[in-house]
This record gives sequence, C-alpha cells and structure tokens, in this order.
Amino acid sequence: MEHPKKSQSCELYPSKKEIHNYHGVVHSVISYGKEDDQQLNGTLSLIQESEKVVIEWRPNDVSIDTECQEDTEWALVNTNTRTRTSSGSVDGALSKLHVNIMLNDVKTIKVSNKKNKLTFTLKDNKQKVFFFHFGNVNQFFEELRTTVTLKRSHHDSNLYFVHDKNAIVQSFSDLTLVDRGGDTVWNLVGDLKRRPYETTLSTFSKLTELLLYRNPEARPEGAMVEILSSLSSTDGCPEVDDSYHFICPVLGPRKLEPRGIPLSQDHWETAKDTEGKIINPDHIKQIIFKGGITPSLRPELWKYLLCLYPWNSTKKEREDILNEKTEEYKRMRAQWSTMSADQESRFTFFRDKKSLVEKDVNRTDRTMPFYAGANNPNLELLSDILMTYIMYNFDLGYVQGMSDLLSPILAVLGNEVEAFWCFVGFMNIMYHNFDEDQSGMKKQLSQLHTLLTAVAPDLATYLDSHDSGSMCFCFRWLLVWFKREFPLEDVNVLWEVLWTGLPCTNFHLLICVAILEKEKNKLMSAGNGLSEVLKHVNDLSYNMDLNDILMRATGIYNQLDQSSNLTASTQRVLGLAHDLISVQQSQSEPEEIVGEEKIDVSMENGYEKSIEYNYF
Amino acid sequence: MANKAGPQRPNGTAQAKICQFKLVLLGESAVGKSSLVLRFVKGQFHEYQESTIGAAFLTQTVCLDDTTVKFEIWDTAGQERYHSLAPMYYRGAQAAIVVYDVTNQDTFGRAKTWVKELQRQASPNIVIALAGNKADLANKRCVEYEEAQAYAEENGLLFMETSAKTGTNVNEIFLAIAKKLPKSETIGGSGSGQGRRLVESDTTAKTSTSCCK
Repeated sequence: MEHPKKSQSCELYPSKKEIHNYHGVVHSVISYGKEDDQQLNGTLSLIQESEKVVIEWRPNDVSIDTECQEDTEWALVNTNTRTRTSSGSVDGALSKLHVNIMLNDVKTIKVSNKKNKLTFTLKDNKQKVFFFHFGNVNQFFEELRTTVTLKRSHHDSNLYFVHDKNAIVQSFSDLTLVDRGGDTVWNLVGDLKRRPYETTLSTFSKLTELLLYRNPEARPEGAMVEILSSLSSTDGCPEVDDSYHFICPVLGPRKLEPRGIPLSQDHWETAKDTEGKIINPDHIKQIIFKGGITPSLRPELWKYLLCLYPWNSTKKEREDILNEKTEEYKRMRAQWSTMSADQESRFTFFRDKKSLVEKDVNRTDRTMPFYAGANNPNLELLSDILMTYIMYNFDLGYVQGMSDLLSPILAVLGNEVEAFWCFVGFMNIMYHNFDEDQSGMKKQLSQLHTLLTAVAPDLATYLDSHDSGSMCFCFRWLLVWFKREFPLEDVNVLWEVLWTGLPCTNFHLLICVAILEKEKNKLMSAGNGLSEVLKHVNDLSYNMDLNDILMRATGIYNQLDQSSNLTASTQRVLGLAHDLISVQQSQSEPEEIVGEEKIDVSMENGYEKSIEYNYF
Repeated sequence: MANKAGPQRPNGTAQAKICQFKLVLLGESAVGKSSLVLRFVKGQFHEYQESTIGAAFLTQTVCLDDTTVKFEIWDTAGQERYHSLAPMYYRGAQAAIVVYDVTNQDTFGRAKTWVKELQRQASPNIVIALAGNKADLANKRCVEYEEAQAYAEENGLLFMETSAKTGTNVNEIFLAIAKKLPKSETIGGSGSGQGRRLVESDTTAKTSTSCCK
C-alpha cells in the first residue's frame, strides 16, 4: 500500500483526485441487520471531486469471499450450503458492486470490532459497513479527519458525528421545530405572542424529544445536539415508587401489574357451550396469559394451545380428531419401529438420528420424578415420540434441544399420541430454532438486540463494545424457551403464557429483555467481556423469579406499545406495525444495503405461516 | 479421589507467576466434554449430565511449580447442527481438548475432523490435547489405545485416556496442557493485573471455582 502525500486541506486538491486508497477492505452486505451474508473484498478510496469528498469502494472481483469472515462471530466454517430462501437481494447487490458515498451525506461513522469495522450511517439512515482486513482503519480515519470534522459521541466512544460547515444550521433545520413552509414560522410567532407559555413549552418539548430521546444514530448531527444530549442520562432517571420505574427516557413510565390467578376448573366449565365449543377463546387466552393454568387443567388446555384441537370444535369433533390423529401416529410409528437392523445398516441418516435420540433421551430431565431411575418406561415414550417425529418431519429429523421441548409436554399429558401431536404444534412454532444454518437463531438474536436497544440502550451499547453484541449468550434461552433456566413448574407456566401468542409477536424476546435489564448493573460491571457475560447469564439458571420476570416483560411491552418513538424495526419485531411488512414486500428490489430496515420477507412470512392460528 | 491430586489454589506467595489461558472443549455429542469439565472444576460426576446448549464458561486454576495457571474453559455443544457456532468459541483459544468416546469409533473419526479444523482455523500455536474418555468402560472399548496414541503422535497432540466418572487422568490432562503452554509470553500479554488479583485474594479464586455450573 502506497501512502500518497497527505494534504491538510481539501482546497488544495484539483477537480478530481484520489486522496488515498486502502486495499483489503471488505464490504459487507447486510441482511437481517447482520453483516454475515455477503462479504466482498475490495479497495476503499477517498476521492476529492471538485468541492466534494467521495468515499468509493471497488470490488477486487465478483467472487464471493467466504474466507474473509474473521470479523463475524458466526460460521467461520462453511459446513453446508446455505439454503435460505432469499428475497433476491443478494443478486441485486452483485449487480451494484461499486459503492459511492458522498461525505456530505454521512451522518455518523462508527468504529467497532476491535477497530477493524467501519459503519457509515447516512442521512437517510442507510448503513454501509466495511471491514479493514489489514487493520489500517485508523489510517483511513486520520485521513478522513483532514477533510472533515469528526466529533466523538458522549454516549458511545466509538461513534463519531460528521460535521461540515453547515452543521449547526442544518441541525436546527432538521429539528423541524418549524416546518419548511413559511406559514408555520408565522404561526409559531403568532402562537408565541398569543400563548407564550404553552408555545414555549411545546417547542422545547419537541426539541427535547428530538435531541434526547432518539438513539444517537437517528439524531441530527451537530455540536448542540451532543451538548444537549449529554445532559440526559438514564442513570439520572428518578424512581417514583415500587410500582413505577423510569427506565429509559424514550419510553413512558413502566407500570408493573401483579400477575393474575390461574385459569380455574370453575371458569373452564363455564367457558364451553352445550356442544362443547369454547365460547370466547380470546378471553380464555387472556386469563392464561395473565396467570397460567391450574395444573389439573393443563392436559386439556394444552391441546388447544398447541393446536391439536381448534377452539371452536365440538366435543364430537374432538373425538373424531383424536381418532384420526391416533391412526396417523400409529402409521408413522410403525414406519420406524418395523425397520430391521439389516435395513438400518444401509440407512445412515436414520441411524445417525436414532443415535442422537438415544444419547439425548438418556440424559433429559433425569432428576424429574417422571423420568428418574434406570429403565423408567417414560424414557421409552420420550424416545418413541422423538423417533416418530423423525418420520413426521424428515427434513428436520432430530436436533439437540428437541428432547427438552418434548419432555414437559409428555410429563403433563402422559399420553403418547396426544403428547406427540402437541409436540408437533410446539415444533411448528420452534422449527426455525433448528435451522441447518442457524438463520432462525441468528435472526432472533438480532431482533433481541433491536429490542434491547429500544429498552436499555446503555446496556446494548455496553454489550456492543464488549464483544457481546451478537447476543449469543442468550442462545440457550431462545433455543428451548428458557427450559434450562426455570424449574419445571415455572417452565409449564411460562410456556402456556407464550403459547397464547399474547400480547404481541416475539413476546419471548421481551422476556429476555426483562431479564437482561434486571441484571444490567451486574452485566455492565467493569471489564465484563463475553465470557463473564455468558457465565453470569448461565448462572442465572434456577435463580430467577418467573412472576417478577413476566410482570416486567409485560410492563415493557406496554411501554413499547404506548411509545410513539419506536423505530420501524422495533415495531416490526413486535408486530406492532403490520403495514410495514406489506410495504417492504411490495418493493421490487431493495437497495443492497438497508441495514436494520431490511428484512427477509420470505423468511418472516414463512415463520408466521409455521405458527398456527393460536400464535397470532 | 480426584480432589487428592486435584487443582490447588495459589498459596499466596507474592512471587508466583500467574498465567491465564483460554481452553475450549470440542468433540462429538455425548462423549463427556461437560463431564470432564465438571470433574476438573468441581470434582463431581453426574451419570445423566444434561446436554450442553450453546456453551458454558467455567474457570479453574492449577498450580505448577512457581506458576499459577488459570484456565478459562469454554465447554461447547457437540452436535453437528451446532458446528457453525464453534469458531466463535475456539477463536483466540490457546488450548483445546478434543474429546472422543473410547466405546464409539465414530466419535474418534469426528475428533480427527476437529483436530484438522483447529490446525487449519484456530490460533497457530494452539496446544491441542486428545482425550479418549469413558476409559472405565473397558469391556465396551472400540478405539484401541495404540491407534489413538499413534494418531496423536503423528499430529503432535497430547494424548490421554480419561474417565470423568472415576476421575482417572482428568486433572492430569489439564496439568499436561498447563505445562506445555508458553508461560513467559502470556505473562506479558494477558496481564499480571488479573493474576495478581487471584493471588492477593484467595476468595476470588474460590468464587471462580465454586460457582461454576
């Protein structure tokens, strides 16, 4: 890499001149807000074009560089061809390889990943991400400083606001204190004259809302913004009383409502009409969401929650369904149980899956009375259901974690056929957790990060800067829906609450947020990196109060639901803005980079489809 | 019995050198990775140790002459489906224990694949140990000691047959790794700061070894 002469001032450059170029810079094309999908190696240049400075990136060649993933947390080893159904955005990206960024359009620059990664956030909130393979990001950064003023954020030492000559002027025009139309200005002046007190207050509140409560990247640039935002600190938020907590300025106060009582036998008896149909399923789900189910009613209710029986089925229809499903189960069970050892010897897929089931069944919940002791017959049931599920879903087969999902269901229902079909219902919700390429888990971890940023931005920023932004320490929580974190009775309650699909999509992610926020101070202790965070999170297992967590998660949901400042991605994760998905869908080919705002619509739809009527 | 020759905490002498190493356990599902760690860290054994989901992080310190070695142990999930997570855990590791089950030939094949991957993708100077676990199940043995030893020699690996159940060779394999790790380099690098804390406050070491799951 040559180092051309440095110049202190951009005026010295002729009309178009390459100031500097940097080889081995990987441009990362973002999907789902993660930059692991496409990584192209190339050269980044700083170019002076008459009055403007342009950052240009050119690819070395068009082949996709799978070796250059050392900065991404996931999938260094490419074991399998990715089979994600793509929305076609990758092909779109390949046709637009060159990247040109006008420095005037850049709002913020973020340095991360041990200073090898640069993220440019543009004024339209699009993001461009580059990895510097040769670690020369500092050099590039210094070069940038000679052409533009960069101001470090008070909140995030890795974030820089880009200033230009017009920064202050622009930052005020961006405030939209006054609309650009002249009438509004005169209205404001008029209002000030007529109602000085109210007008001043409302203008200041607009200013405060904009300056303090938006996340740093969404704020307008400018020194004033930084000065004002430095006045705001989440630590300074007052706590009023035990039931109200001010957590973050972007959200309203949090109200913690006590949990309700479990759905009782009496209530359930009155919930059915003469034919046995459930009169008002939504009401029943509300009760379950608030307080769970009386244990003796679980075997019956779980069959509705897990979609074995439709809520509007009559008693007779349910008997028919069960008969039909029993036959179907027997048929699939016979498909594997009649396989001879000779057949097995030529059926590697089956043998491998069978061996995995045997290994895991033997060590699933053996301390639970239902599965305790050598030669416990319930272990055989557990194994038989998992083996039959392999026949039911060949593509998925058996993956570690599935025995954890079945175990409580079998223990509650105690019946092989019913437990199988309820497990099928649960797996329809959880299917993507077991994706070959982990894309379902990655997506959820990314969504979790989005929600955490909305609720506890300081914690999200801390994790980002401490090698933990991937949220991979929550993997176990999400994979088996906290099965390893709570005692069985709590798991039963938590799962039936989540099976109601209330109050929003991805409520389980808000449970994660509630736990993380509760542990915030411990997680942010000095010097905690990924290993300490993971250890702390793992050690929370069996040390959490489920009722408290559920109250907090519900409180957080209400705060988010009532907030008018949520980002589109936050709304989308919680399903608070359904129209957004259809808007995305109608766009033909999105830009190659759309950061958090781009979602793989086909996958999200698939996820929704896989979840039956209960869940939404 | 494992505790007799077991890991010791530093005796508080101010001169002790302290080194900290990241160690990762890899190997096929259900070969006993978590059980080896549980035996080494807590001196316990659970017949029906549950499968590991994601990863677990534990620490344990051992004394080696005048040096205290603190292991930061990453215990991983073994199933192939979770293979793509492994690089996240072995990245930056100075040592790895690749575990197989002596009663299962397939797991030995899988161990060889892990060794190859580490040699290709992990830190260049990583110390790799091969552990043939479940050595107490002699009557079910499928992988011969000599075969594994020859493979280990060819590839420059430390090798021991272990039993997390009886404790045989569990502390020994960690100690052998500790001996082979370059102590002088690490002292400069990963900081006497953390190390000193361990020496000054025995309770810190106690906490770090007793609260791990």
